Amino acid sequence: MSTYEELRQQADEAWREWASPARTLIKIGLATCSKAKGAEDTFEAIRDEINARGLDADVAITGCLGLCYAEPLVEVHRPDGRRFLYGDVTPEKAKQLVDAIAEDGVSAELALAVIQGPDVPGVPRLEDIPFFAIQERRLMADCGTIHPRNIDHYMARGGYEGLARALTMTSEEVIKEVLDSGLWGRGGAAFPTGRKWDFLRTARGEPKYILCNADEGDPGSFVNRNLMESNPHLVVEGMIIAGYATGGARGFAYIRDEYPICVERMEFAVQQARERGLLGENIFGSGFSFNMEVVRGAGAYVCGEETGLIASIEGLRGMPKIRPPFPAQAGVFNKPSNVNNVESYANAPLVLRNGAAWWSSVGSERHKGTKMFSLSGAIQRVGILEVPLGISMREVLIEAGGGVPDGQIMKAIQSGGPLSGIIPASDINEPLEPEPFRDRGMFMGSGGLIVLDDTDCIVDLCIYFEQFAEDESCGRCTTCHGGTQRLVEILRRISNGQGRSSDIDHIRLLADTMRYANCVHGQAAPTAVLSMIRFFEDELKAHMQEKRCPAKVCRALICYEVGEQGPNLPKAEAICPTNAVVREATAYRIDQEKCIKCGACKEVVPESIQVLDAYQDVVAILTPL
Amino acid sequence: MSIADQDQVLDNPLSGISTLLDNVLPELSQLLPSLHKIQHELGYVPREAIPIIASKLHTTPAAIYGAITFYSEIRLEPPPETEIAWCSGPACRLKGSENIKRALEAVLDVRMGQKTPDSRLGLRLVQCDGTCEQAPLVRLNGRTMGNLNVSEAIKLGRDLLAGQQA
Repeated sequence: MSTYEELRQQADEAWREWASPARTLIKIGLATCSKAKGAEDTFEAIRDEINARGLDADVAITGCLGLCYAEPLVEVHRPDGRRFLYGDVTPEKAKQLVDAIAEDGVSAELALAVIQGPDVPGVPRLEDIPFFAIQERRLMADCGTIHPRNIDHYMARGGYEGLARALTMTSEEVIKEVLDSGLWGRGGAAFPTGRKWDFLRTARGEPKYILCNADEGDPGSFVNRNLMESNPHLVVEGMIIAGYATGGARGFAYIRDEYPICVERMEFAVQQARERGLLGENIFGSGFSFNMEVVRGAGAYVCGEETGLIASIEGLRGMPKIRPPFPAQAGVFNKPSNVNNVESYANAPLVLRNGAAWWSSVGSERHKGTKMFSLSGAIQRVGILEVPLGISMREVLIEAGGGVPDGQIMKAIQSGGPLSGIIPASDINEPLEPEPFRDRGMFMGSGGLIVLDDTDCIVDLCIYFEQFAEDESCGRCTTCHGGTQRLVEILRRISNGQGRSSDIDHIRLLADTMRYANCVHGQAAPTAVLSMIRFFEDELKAHMQEKRCPAKVCRALICYEVGEQGPNLPKAEAICPTNAVVREATAYRIDQEKCIKCGACKEVVPESIQVLDAYQDVVAILTPL
Repeated sequence: MSIADQDQVLDNPLSGISTLLDNVLPELSQLLPSLHKIQHELGYVPREAIPIIASKLHTTPAAIYGAITFYSEIRLEPPPETEIAWCSGPACRLKGSENIKRALEAVLDVRMGQKTPDSRLGLRLVQCDGTCEQAPLVRLNGRTMGNLNVSEAIKLGRDLLAGQQA
């Protein structure tokens, strides 16, 4: 059995090769987002180019820095200590990049930032670029710099030091440290993590289980993915510490099926931790034993609800149960269990390594620590960042995110996934902490922030959320599966211009009833619609009374027409998937019976095709009076 | 015919499935790993596998069937040769993914979740995996085609129908 110091020494040696390479080290970020943008091809193109020229350089992978908008990202680390970051490195740009490497210089044209070393004219330093400037990177400190499959890198950066320290303390002292830090659950419920751990510690029954909710199912939320792909040991260490603090002996990390890279890297991390004796019997000779494994989900949103997750691990359909009993009393296999989000566990090693005082040195008056957020939708810079809690949404969305695309106006912000609500853009100066969202009847949630601009329709987004809630309802309680169906029906009717004056009252009645659903899925499903009624009444009324969709999205309320006849209209005729663009004599027109309103014609001939308000009274056509 | 004989009949043509489950512990908690293993090998979970899994995990075929239909990533039908996975997420939706969906359905003449009668092409709804920078996107046999517009999607569908892109 190795001691922490022995493992650390071994890690420090391995780290030196990475942190002070003897020859040029080229690191390519490889995670879900960069892979989608072709980072694997970039990796091969760079490696082939290096090999073809016989250059003295190594090519390796790393995790994700969070700059989705600039992927694929490549870092060039020179033996003299200079480090440069290159963005948008497509395979085609690989040659140009390798040219720069061969000449022992930096390509100011391609470089996104200087990470380390003297300034380069025209190239900002990484910490000064807008997306980085507001960040306080603690959880993400090593994301995109270490090798995600190398435990030595993690340990050399201080990994497992928190565990080693925890093992010298009593379980009560560990819990006190976590309580003192002020850490609360990052999954959205904001319950103090230390108190939750204490429930398990004092619970009766053996064995006790530590469960990690890595089923990040909220569409538009992808912060947990970043941690598991870029620094999986942080999550593993957090779970081991939770095990020690609560008397937990076994752990499961339940990861959604849509995250195959997370599954692979977390499984690898668990295996490595086992090989080093960080998992298993008698960890660091402390007498404490803990084992864990990764469970791969299979596509069910409701498994992100803790009792649904437990049912899924047990091998049942992932259907939530009524609480109480809470997992701390009767969790997985009816044994006491603790369920926390990925980001909650990932904070534990930082609290134990650096102490509660350090951990709570950032944040707002009421809320300590940092929080990761993912930005998507109508925003210039899509990505993942980590900021102190309580920072204003303006800083995150405008300064870091760059605001909405040029020429558009920000309309709304959606946070917390499909079970949460939508707030108007005028609230952008509110701080990112639970209260402002709670005051508006919704949640801050697990970190997803989706921005809407004036080309987006609130009614349409609400239909999407309610359809999602309906599809993903487990079906156990009628309150939820029936309630979501009725909500979808009403919203579809409104979107089709068939809204009734009684609809708003009906939605409120449904929402009041759905509060009695068995789990949060049904209870919170109407949140988005309620926030639409509260904050976007004008837009809703335009659909209901004027039969008009101001953003021109709801397709029953718009039609495509040929405006000016023009020479490019044959292109519209050619692209139309339903042959709805027809030529009569010399003029083109659109056959409204055939048109499916996909908008392809307007894309190819914007100068000749118009989108008009055109409510078609389907009922009037179908039922003669 | 005894139950053991029935198992035999079902087992024979699918002895591969039993073999796949050889290293799986006979406990209910191995349900998801079992389904993943079979789907990884065969591309789907054939109906004939249901009683085999059930007897291995000491549960009923109904429980297995219930789970398969509960989890959207587990398929009971073989996937098409070429699959267009259409992202249903909110970032894609806000950037016009509904238009892409309607256009693809019209071009391929199949609805979301279906495949062409010759099983060559199919459309599948997938959940957001956070590659929202590429919104709206589809994945062609796993390869992301991002920042797609409707006319590009139509051309993709037509090329696939004409067999010009695999």
